[in-house]
Amino acid sequence: MHGGRYYSRCRKAGNTLFMKKVLLQTEALSKSFSSGGAMQHVLRNIDLQLYEGDFTVIMGASGAGKSTLLYALSGMDTPSLGKITFGTDVISDMDSDGLAVFRRRNCGFVFQQIYLIDSMSVMDNVLAAGLLVNRDKKELIRRAKELFAAVDIEEEAWRKFPAQLSGGEAQRVGIVRALINSPRILFADEPTGALNSQTGLDVLDTLTGFNGRGQSVVMVTHDMRSARRGNRILYLKDGTVLGECDLGPYVHGARARHEKLTGFLAEMGW
Amino acid sequence: MRKQFCLFLLLLFVAELAVLWHFAMQDYDEVQDAVAVNEVIHTLQDDWRNLETHRNRTALDYVVLDGGGAVLFRTKPGLSESIHQAILHRDTILDVPGEGKVLIYNDAAGKQQAGRQAAVAGLGILIAVQTGACLVYYFYLERNVIRPFRQLKDFAGRIAEGNLDIPLKMDRFNLFGAFTESFDIMRAELKRARRAEAQANAAKKELVAELSHDIKTPIASIQAAAEVGAALAQRVGRDSGAALEQGRPMAAGIRENYLQIIRKAEQINTLVSNLFTAALEEMEQLSVTPIDMPSGELRELLESADYLHRAMIPDIPECLLYADRLRLQQVFDNLFANSYKYANTEIEIRLRTGDGCLAVEIVDQGGGIGEEELPLLKEKFKRGKNTEKIEGAGLGLYISDYFMRAMQGALVVENGGKGLKVTVMILLSGYRSGAETAR
Amino acid sequence: MRKSFLIAFFNLRRARSQTAAIIVLLFLASAMLNLWLMLSMDYKKNFDRYHEKLNAEHVTLAVSSADEGLRDFIAETLEKDSRVTEYDLDDALNMVGSFGYNGGEINTQFVILEKEAALNRPVGRIEILEEGEAAGGLYLPMLYKNDGDLAPDQTITLKIGSAEVDYPVCGFFNSIMAGSHNCSMCALVLTPEYYEELEEQEVAPASTLVSVRIREKEESEEFETWLKNVIAGRYPGLQAVSNSYSLVSSSRYISQMICSGIVSAMAFFVTVIAMVVIASNVINDIQENMRSLGVMKAIGYTSRQIEASLQLQFAGIALATAAAGIGLSYILFPAVNAMMITQTGIPYAMHFLPLPSGITLGIVGGTVSLAVRLSSGRIRKIDPIAALRQGVMTHSFKQNHIPLEKTNMPLQLALALKTTCSGVKQNITVCITMLVLSLVVVFAGLMVENVIVDMEPFINLIVGETADSCINVNTEAEEKLLSLMEAHPSVEKAYLFHSETVAHKDEEGNLLIATISEDFSRINNQNICFQGRLPLYENEIAVGAKYAGEKNLKIGDEITLTAKGRDADYIICGFTQMSNNLGKDCLLTRSGFQRMGNLDNVSYYINVADGADVDAFQNEIGGQLGGNVNASVNISSVVNGSASVYVSLMAIIVAAVLCLSGIIIVFVLYLLVRTLLNGKKRDYGILKALGFSTGQLVVQTAMSFMPTVICSAAVGLTVCAGIINPLTALFLGGIGIVKCTFTVPVGFIAAAGMGVVLFAFGTACLLSLRIRRIVPVTLLAGE
Repeated sequence: MHGGRYYSRCRKAGNTLFMKKVLLQTEALSKSFSSGGAMQHVLRNIDLQLYEGDFTVIMGASGAGKSTLLYALSGMDTPSLGKITFGTDVISDMDSDGLAVFRRRNCGFVFQQIYLIDSMSVMDNVLAAGLLVNRDKKELIRRAKELFAAVDIEEEAWRKFPAQLSGGEAQRVGIVRALINSPRILFADEPTGALNSQTGLDVLDTLTGFNGRGQSVVMVTHDMRSARRGNRILYLKDGTVLGECDLGPYVHGARARHEKLTGFLAEMGW
Repeated sequence: MRKQFCLFLLLLFVAELAVLWHFAMQDYDEVQDAVAVNEVIHTLQDDWRNLETHRNRTALDYVVLDGGGAVLFRTKPGLSESIHQAILHRDTILDVPGEGKVLIYNDAAGKQQAGRQAAVAGLGILIAVQTGACLVYYFYLERNVIRPFRQLKDFAGRIAEGNLDIPLKMDRFNLFGAFTESFDIMRAELKRARRAEAQANAAKKELVAELSHDIKTPIASIQAAAEVGAALAQRVGRDSGAALEQGRPMAAGIRENYLQIIRKAEQINTLVSNLFTAALEEMEQLSVTPIDMPSGELRELLESADYLHRAMIPDIPECLLYADRLRLQQVFDNLFANSYKYANTEIEIRLRTGDGCLAVEIVDQGGGIGEEELPLLKEKFKRGKNTEKIEGAGLGLYISDYFMRAMQGALVVENGGKGLKVTVMILLSGYRSGAETAR
Repeated sequence: MRKSFLIAFFNLRRARSQTAAIIVLLFLASAMLNLWLMLSMDYKKNFDRYHEKLNAEHVTLAVSSADEGLRDFIAETLEKDSRVTEYDLDDALNMVGSFGYNGGEINTQFVILEKEAALNRPVGRIEILEEGEAAGGLYLPMLYKNDGDLAPDQTITLKIGSAEVDYPVCGFFNSIMAGSHNCSMCALVLTPEYYEELEEQEVAPASTLVSVRIREKEESEEFETWLKNVIAGRYPGLQAVSNSYSLVSSSRYISQMICSGIVSAMAFFVTVIAMVVIASNVINDIQENMRSLGVMKAIGYTSRQIEASLQLQFAGIALATAAAGIGLSYILFPAVNAMMITQTGIPYAMHFLPLPSGITLGIVGGTVSLAVRLSSGRIRKIDPIAALRQGVMTHSFKQNHIPLEKTNMPLQLALALKTTCSGVKQNITVCITMLVLSLVVVFAGLMVENVIVDMEPFINLIVGETADSCINVNTEAEEKLLSLMEAHPSVEKAYLFHSETVAHKDEEGNLLIATISEDFSRINNQNICFQGRLPLYENEIAVGAKYAGEKNLKIGDEITLTAKGRDADYIICGFTQMSNNLGKDCLLTRSGFQRMGNLDNVSYYINVADGADVDAFQNEIGGQLGGNVNASVNISSVVNGSASVYVSLMAIIVAAVLCLSGIIIVFVLYLLVRTLLNGKKRDYGILKALGFSTGQLVVQTAMSFMPTVICSAAVGLTVCAGIINPLTALFLGGIGIVKCTFTVPVGFIAAAGMGVVLFAFGTACLLSLRIRRIVPVTLLAGE
């Protein structure tokens, strides 16, 4: 018996000392697709715990199953096998409407392609998501304005349409929309993938900022610069978590943090 | 917008034409209403005896004269009251048979007047509408064409001065929306390009610094080690040179020892590799090709192996297994056959996950075997003592064990409470890569 | 061309269900269109075909005398006249009579012929279409064939004059000029032995049936008038009934005109809707596929080739489907034909009509081809790169309809309205569909209210005036009749309503039926006069609008009439729309008529109390007045007889109309919903990812149609309710109706409107259930 999973156990006291609260938990999560008769197993027996307040980054080469994992975690997709629990709710047992309710209450999404609805103005895009949960429009508009201010979207842009925004602006609007319902977790799928480097950085700053204020974030990326923002890095390979790395103890921007990450990634065969 | 405006103009034009046509064609000189006149005559005839009760039932105005020309009845004052007046006024003069005359007032003049007034009013409204349209259009042009152009001029001026921070105000009702927006996009892009240029320069510097640091570190350690070694050897040579005769040869010996270490390390490496290769060659030719399979399929395998239905198959924990379906079936077949052969009791199956594998425990109530025999069971051609009377080659457990190991799982044989307990440990998919990395 | 064909085939397979829906719509549309064209283009020609086949006469005259001198005089007159080509004189028995039909009764002038003579007349012979087992008996016109009580071998009771006779029904025949009560006389054929027996009974006077073929059939009316005047000049006081080609050819087709008008209207509406939907769908489909069209352009297809492929794809389908639809129309035609025959009484042999088929193919193919042409104009303008980038993304300054920030609407509604505002094309299609449908609904409502529920408005429109009973007495007995009426408990109202023939004294000398009443304010149907007013004084007259139109008479004009050898002038005070004599009617006051001469006998219309037995009442009066009663007609039963046919016909038509409306709504919505969902797949994916449930999105989609549906239904229903009467009048114009006064059933229309809206909502919900299949993750992974 070769026993257990080989982990690059970089985690230090971080989690064990302050026993962070588990937000989302998976047990033997697997996801398979059938393509042309053959089964393809994209996720395989993933046992994972996501903690409140973490900026969890899921890394891995393309095809490693990063996005599939994200969608399974966020209730966008149902796993083939295994169980996902959010608090006491078992997400993996919900039907599509149950999942919809789960998503609107607890999840925020930032997509790689900037999925704003073209026919609605910026404000409406945000409110369409917000009004789904919160009936108090005044409160909602107040929060939207707060969030817009936080992501540096000026008032005159509120009434614009997505097509009139630059990529970075649109992505930040996406973040505002994701956060409008104060979700328990913010899921981001390569949020900088479609942006140029500077706007990408702005978006990452925004995400880091929200995380600093206690927002749990789960982000998928294959970009190291983005990954550096996380405090917990999971490396996915062939549909399984190959290793994880705790960047929590290192200060943002510090060289040590960077070295730690490059070291971890090198070890993972990045 | 332009289309709508043209349509509006066209409609207005058509409306004007229609109104003009209406006035041009209006027939002011309407014919006398013969039916009404007939009614007047008839009602007068009926009422002649007491004209004071006579009531006008038509829309006409008339005056009734008796045979002598005296007015007997009038519908309203101001009408022609004698035949002469009536003739001048082109009124209709009729006899009320046998009684007198009725002068039916000719109202053509009044109607013409009303018609003219209506024409003037209609034209006036049209002119007002037209003027209004012109004014609206003027303001529209002013707001949507002239003003934006003026703004654009100021904007171009600022760009020329190098001031890229002030955006061009846009108006979505602006006719030149897209056009002016391109200007603003141009400004934004210029601004962005400038900022990006500055940032790219900074980033390049950072990267060069980082890389040089990264490369320097191992080189530095090698260098340092080399220097330390050289210094050490030199010092050993120099220091011991005075004290001991064997000093020099000793330094050389140390150096020789270093080389020896390297060589030996290399040798060990080769040896390990050789050993590994040799071990691989010794392997049996049974191919085991594990793939991912959902744990649910186990039920089928177990049911098919337990053809006497001695066992209750419990719920199988959902997970993805890494196994060769065919070989796993062989393993279970063998285990159940063994149990049937040697114990021949009820069989209990327990499933649990943990440590990256799914453990399938198969326990019978046959009393088990001696503790000393347990390690030998999985050997080739080894059989338990209690099996002498039963046919068998002693290969089953050996092969099963081999299969399980080839699937990166394991086969554990031990004594349970009432009998033999065989645990088939099937690796969970995803844990394989970890194991491989470890190897 | 081969390449174009390949592309076309590929495209067809891609959008299978959409193509299927279009095909169904096209199929229905072309079937209805062809049906309409066949009815309107060929059905009436059938009359001429049979007219020729049976060598039928242009003018028929039945004179109640078999006097040889008279016959010689007529023969001589016709012989001398250059307008006449052929004529025939035959023995006949001519009398007013009635028989039970369809729960009511038919009351008309019988012209009874002997079988052999009738079959062998050189001019105007009859043709036996159906024969039963009975050896001898009565043959009836085809029109009265009714599988219930009027079928071969059954017994029929005829009331001839005041006598009643029973005959076995031998079969049915077709007579062109005397085959229906609409022809002002109705031929009956008896086998020789029965004929002789009837002749001997002397219940009906021996008469002469004169059938004349003339050179110019357009002159039939004038010839009829002339002939009658000539005979009346020589033999005054002779009873005679007559008809002419132009009267019969239109009167026998009145009902058919109404029916085929309705079928045509239905067909027209279906066609219009289908064409709008198809065109918009084709345009939409092409626009959605701009990207693949761009690819084709990029790999070297010319615009012309692409357009050819699109034409091949859409127009090809359209033509093929239209051909199938034409086939369907031929399958449906017998049913419609059966319906029509009950109205015309002239059999129609179905045969292939190339012209309507050609027109159908042309219209269907042309519309689709035009739609393709319109939308493919864009292909030519777009360069491949732009098309590849999914059309040209211009900066749009779209208006933000219903900003969520400001509105107080619920979220779902607001989002639905946003969709509504953004889909102009969708709204136009819905709008046109709903407008047309509301016309259909209003029409159905009108028919239900005025024909099925309460026939009176319809009867009033067609007949002019109805009461319960009509009693004709000699003038001497008039006062006695009036006093009887006064005293009788079940009489509600009795008023003079008498018809006399008068001649308009102008160069043509047209005969008009003058309806005479003491006081027109007492008649039941005051709407009989739709312009001006009813005559009040003795020198006033109201004229049939159709006749006035032909003669260019205006209110206030003076016309001269002749009757009883005297002339009188009358001022036209109003126009009526009675269609008893196809518009050649006029109304005179009694004193007005008496300026020309006195009445020999008078007809009184009588309203009896509800539930009173009209027949018993008539018998009672007849008994009291004795021989002075010339005739009494149970009007309500006569009306019921012909009305029940209309009621069932209208019921079928209304049901068909409503079904068709339902089908159309379903298909139109299906296409619209599909288009909407295809266009908004990405948006729906995003909304689902944000946590909108399928149910919410379904309701939202369905709601997005509702504003247009509700508004256009409301506008459509209101407008249609307003214009339905003039519109109906327009299409009944052929029978002299100028103004319709049907009651518009507001309640029914409102309920039907609500029903349509709810139905549309339900259907849209059901159809948009395919939103279920939009899974957010496929959208995200697809990119």
